[in-house]
Amino acid sequence: MSARADILSTIRMRRTGSKPQPSRYKAPPIAGDQVERFAERATIEAAEVRILGSLGEVPDAVADILRARNMAASVHLPPDARIGALPWGTAIALEHTAPGPNDAAVALAPFAIAETGTLVYTSAPDTPASWHFRPGLEIAIVAAGNILPHLEDVLARVGKPLPSTINLVTGPSRTGDIEQTLELGAHGPKALVILVVKN
Amino acid sequence: MNLDPRNFPQNVHTALGDTRLKSALARLKTHFSVSRKKSIARFGDFETLRETGRAIRDHAIEHLDTLLETFEKNVTARCGHVHWARTPAEACEIILTILREAGAKTVTKGKTMVSEEIDLNTYLEEAGIAPVETDLGEYIIQLRGEPPSHIIAPAFHLHKDQVAETFRKAHTTLDPDRALTERSALVGEARTMLRARFAAADAGITGANFLSAADGAAVIVTNEGNGDLTRLLPKTHIVLTGIEKVVANMDEVAVLLRLLTRSATGQDITSYVSVMTGPRAADETDGPQNFHVVLVDHGRSDLIGTEAQDILRCIRCSACMNHCPIYMAVGGHAYGATYPGPLGAALNPGLIGMALAHHHPNASTFCGRCEEVCPVKIPLPKIMRHWRAQEYAKGLAPKMPVFALALWAFAAKRPTLYKFGARIGARVLKFMAGRRGAVRALPLKNGWFAVRDFPAPQGQTFQEMWRRR
Repeated sequence: MSARADILSTIRMRRTGSKPQPSRYKAPPIAGDQVERFAERATIEAAEVRILGSLGEVPDAVADILRARNMAASVHLPPDARIGALPWGTAIALEHTAPGPNDAAVALAPFAIAETGTLVYTSAPDTPASWHFRPGLEIAIVAAGNILPHLEDVLARVGKPLPSTINLVTGPSRTGDIEQTLELGAHGPKALVILVVKN
Repeated sequence: MNLDPRNFPQNVHTALGDTRLKSALARLKTHFSVSRKKSIARFGDFETLRETGRAIRDHAIEHLDTLLETFEKNVTARCGHVHWARTPAEACEIILTILREAGAKTVTKGKTMVSEEIDLNTYLEEAGIAPVETDLGEYIIQLRGEPPSHIIAPAFHLHKDQVAETFRKAHTTLDPDRALTERSALVGEARTMLRARFAAADAGITGANFLSAADGAAVIVTNEGNGDLTRLLPKTHIVLTGIEKVVANMDEVAVLLRLLTRSATGQDITSYVSVMTGPRAADETDGPQNFHVVLVDHGRSDLIGTEAQDILRCIRCSACMNHCPIYMAVGGHAYGATYPGPLGAALNPGLIGMALAHHHPNASTFCGRCEEVCPVKIPLPKIMRHWRAQEYAKGLAPKMPVFALALWAFAAKRPTLYKFGARIGARVLKFMAGRRGAVRALPLKNGWFAVRDFPAPQGQTFQEMWRRR
């Protein structure tokens, strides 16, 4: 008998009764404003959150973030046309190659989760998943209206079939593997700045 | 260092004398259990969440066959491949075949306990393929040739100076005089060294925290991002996991995620949670071109329908070991098995057999903390009791306690003999205690008396005193 048939037949032979269908879980509602809760949780998880009035303000905000961190005025942009279409001007050098471990990269998150301060990325040809792990600094853009209460709400909006990769990102990369003490920037970004765009 | 589970009693003595281990355990205790408590308090109604989680996992185990078939169908529909392995040997062979077909020479690995269970690294090395662990803790212990000492903090037993020494020995291309006293310097060095390995790897192997049958998706939970670079950069991605990890859909995964991270590190969510469904789509430039899932049984299906079935609900958070007085005194290595602590005590006899693991169910005071903190309410002490009964039935139980209990039972069933014995005992102990009022030593009990005295009885039994009233 094949391993598959063997394992399945053991399971069928051994299971006793049937346990009841689990009841549908309803996560505790988020009190207050979703955007505030998102910003609060993301900040606790070591991300920096800035609230912008419109997408047009993104390039200036990016320039300011790079200056504040003493980084070169250069960012890596994914093929995402929505990011390419922003009024970048000439103050920042735009790179279109995959970012290295000390580079800054910009990404647009289609959704975010208020409950945990989490960004949700769905992979597609113009939004490559590895870009959320390659750079040293990730600058994420998310529309305030796409911040939903819970993961379940985001999953309902993502729809089926799922993209090949969904990445939930909460704060920068971290590790507690040396002496149980938190250090940021293990393999993924050392810092995460989130630009929440109101309109 | 690969300790034998059969030598658990001796391993424990060595571990108890290890002062560096003791300070590492103290650190583990404050970090994990305190953070867990805070995060649960912040959440609010954790009890309903636990009940739902328990029901989800119970239902999944009862319908494992159909869920696994649905999972397989959906992975295949997305051009992925599902492989089934009854034993560690079968799992290793399957992975080697996939790697050979992909022409892989080096493999990066995300953290997977099933890989430890099947001893994959040894197998691959013998076949001429170099596995590189990329989780920082796993990387450190791989360089040191040690097994993990904890299921989510594999190198917790090491101090930073030991890590620095390990890195100096391994990273010979770097300046030998570099400063490595800060933890951040160690993390930075691992980041640099491993980034090159990700890019060069031909294949990546990760585990899975959950599988969603409805989506044919594997879900991994990490803080470092190493699991994602392992999936996304090489051409081939292999998910290696146990058959029991499957649940019906992503909404069920969402419930279990809330339980897992809070119970494990006390985080509301980890930095990264990744839902991985098949290889990259035809027009995508990023992600693996080949996607394989290897489902390992290794004794799990045989636990269904037994008194140990509930252990299959386990989501590997490690809360049970973080709250276990035995684990917290001896650490993980003493167990000599992939899964230490109460989880190991309840699971190992099913996985590696009673002959190897029969000491583990005895490594408990039955204080019940493990069951109290378990996010899916596994009755761990009950399962350990089940294995203890099996140990006795198979004649594997240690001779002395069995003999002593038989002696006691013989007397207890004969009231006259028991009364006589008790009267002698009470008088002898009172005489031994003398004016101190406490016995300070008894034959064969040196260990017990090393740190405490035994308050002496008053020279008469309770029944004697009662009769006189």
